[in-house]
Amino acid sequence: MKILIPLKQVPDSTVRVKVAPDGKSVATEGITWSISPYDEYAIEMALERKDADPSTVVAVVAVGPARSRDALRQALAMGCDEASLVIADAAAPLAVARALAKVVEEAKPDLVLCGKQASDDDQGFVGPALAELLGWPHVATITKVAPTDGGVELWREVEGGHEVWKAPLPALATVHKSEKEPRYPSLPGIMKAKKKEIPERPISALGVDGSGPTWTVLSMEPPPTRGGGKILKDGDAKQIAEQLATALRDEAKVL
Amino acid sequence: MKTLVVAERKGSELRRVTLELAAKARELGEATIVEIAGERYSPMPFVSALAKKVESEKPDLVLLGATLNGRDLGARLAARLGRAYAADVTGLRAEGNAVEVDKPMYAGKVRAKLRVDLPAVVSVRPGALTLKGAADAPPQVENIEADTSAEKLTFVKLEGTATAAKRVSLSDARVIVSGGRGLKGPENWHLVEELADALGGAVGASRAVTDAGWRPNEEQVGQTGKTVTPDLYIALGISGAIQHLAGMTSSKVIVAVNKDPDADIFKIADYGVVADVFEFVPAFTEAVKKARAS
Repeated sequence: MKILIPLKQVPDSTVRVKVAPDGKSVATEGITWSISPYDEYAIEMALERKDADPSTVVAVVAVGPARSRDALRQALAMGCDEASLVIADAAAPLAVARALAKVVEEAKPDLVLCGKQASDDDQGFVGPALAELLGWPHVATITKVAPTDGGVELWREVEGGHEVWKAPLPALATVHKSEKEPRYPSLPGIMKAKKKEIPERPISALGVDGSGPTWTVLSMEPPPTRGGGKILKDGDAKQIAEQLATALRDEAKVL
Repeated sequence: MKTLVVAERKGSELRRVTLELAAKARELGEATIVEIAGERYSPMPFVSALAKKVESEKPDLVLLGATLNGRDLGARLAARLGRAYAADVTGLRAEGNAVEVDKPMYAGKVRAKLRVDLPAVVSVRPGALTLKGAADAPPQVENIEADTSAEKLTFVKLEGTATAAKRVSLSDARVIVSGGRGLKGPENWHLVEELADALGGAVGASRAVTDAGWRPNEEQVGQTGKTVTPDLYIALGISGAIQHLAGMTSSKVIVAVNKDPDADIFKIADYGVVADVFEFVPAFTEAVKKARAS
């Protein structure tokens, strides 16, 4: 089975994101970039398939700025077999999906796994949009994939449990979590990844122009700071518990 | 402005977010509320039915709840229609031939104001728009059939988790009680559950807890879990890692109980209690029962 994972490079989730002086973007100076967390889960899920069946081929692709090469290198070091880069500096979301559809048509994977959303814009658009452009079925927010007769079974986390869906191949799924935490690159993995070629081409080489419906950022600001909270400390546990319950009922009015 | 609202139901009741969207749509102008009838949500039959409705009604705006299914449906619908799409917005205003939306980004670390040109598809975070109660009459809902001819998937089964049925879901809950590592183990979760039940709320967890397998993933609140905006969020034995805070700082009132007075969770809490959860929580559960009864 061949599995393709489109990935996005985003500010690392442990980084404190700051709004740039223009008030319309995020300051990128000195930022640590990483593979978007849900894309990492998708990679881990694919590599778990490869652990179970070594004939599995796991490929990654990024449609984004040139710096995305580092994220692809990271994915190779985790154990992915192939990586390629499509350079697009400010492509509209639908154009990214269009470029990925071209990549899928060339690479002919059986299964495409996308992170359920990127942790920068938190949109969750590209996965379902890619399935739509390809005319493929998709299952959203899965936590498990298993091969079955003539397709795959996909576990989708829903309220109150998991729905299990069977999809014929080729199919696409967006990933909520992998069974294990994403693996760290091993030293031999890092050495091997360094030697691998990562072919690159501009988005225009795929016949896609980067335009599409999108939005205009009017402003960005940090979330309002909270604070000025009270620490309740007078009395024993029972007394504090009663003060808190009363405050929630009469002052905050949330009981 | 002409708006099409996609209704969602939980059991026999319309979800609260549907009422919130219906009220917003009426405020914006002409509103149509549709519910897609099908045994269970599946993207292709639902998108296909909804796209036909959009093509015949030509609404300027399609509004969905930013729920598990709403977000998925909205994304695929926007791609099918070639419309602009904004997911999980927390505010929305008409602005000429566009809508201006408030959208948390970077897992809530940034608040953006965006201009989205019409026609557009927008999903709105449950609980973000206010309901004025009785003034918001229950909406007229029109049913459309899911287009099962578009289905390529086969539903196999539903695997339930034991805790699921009796409590409200995290995304609908007005009160959430979450537990962290301070609870020391899954065997102590009855403390979290009893307090949640006393409040009529949902149970959540920190990532440390779901990663350790103490609780199911679906209960995780935070950057790689659920983003929630209840009226009351109670964090028990949670230190307040930035990824957790990203998922719950928009809650209206936050209560933190932690043994460590320097825990980051206290920086955003409206009410903090520096105490051992094992000693404090049973007393608090009793106090809540009493306060709600009187």
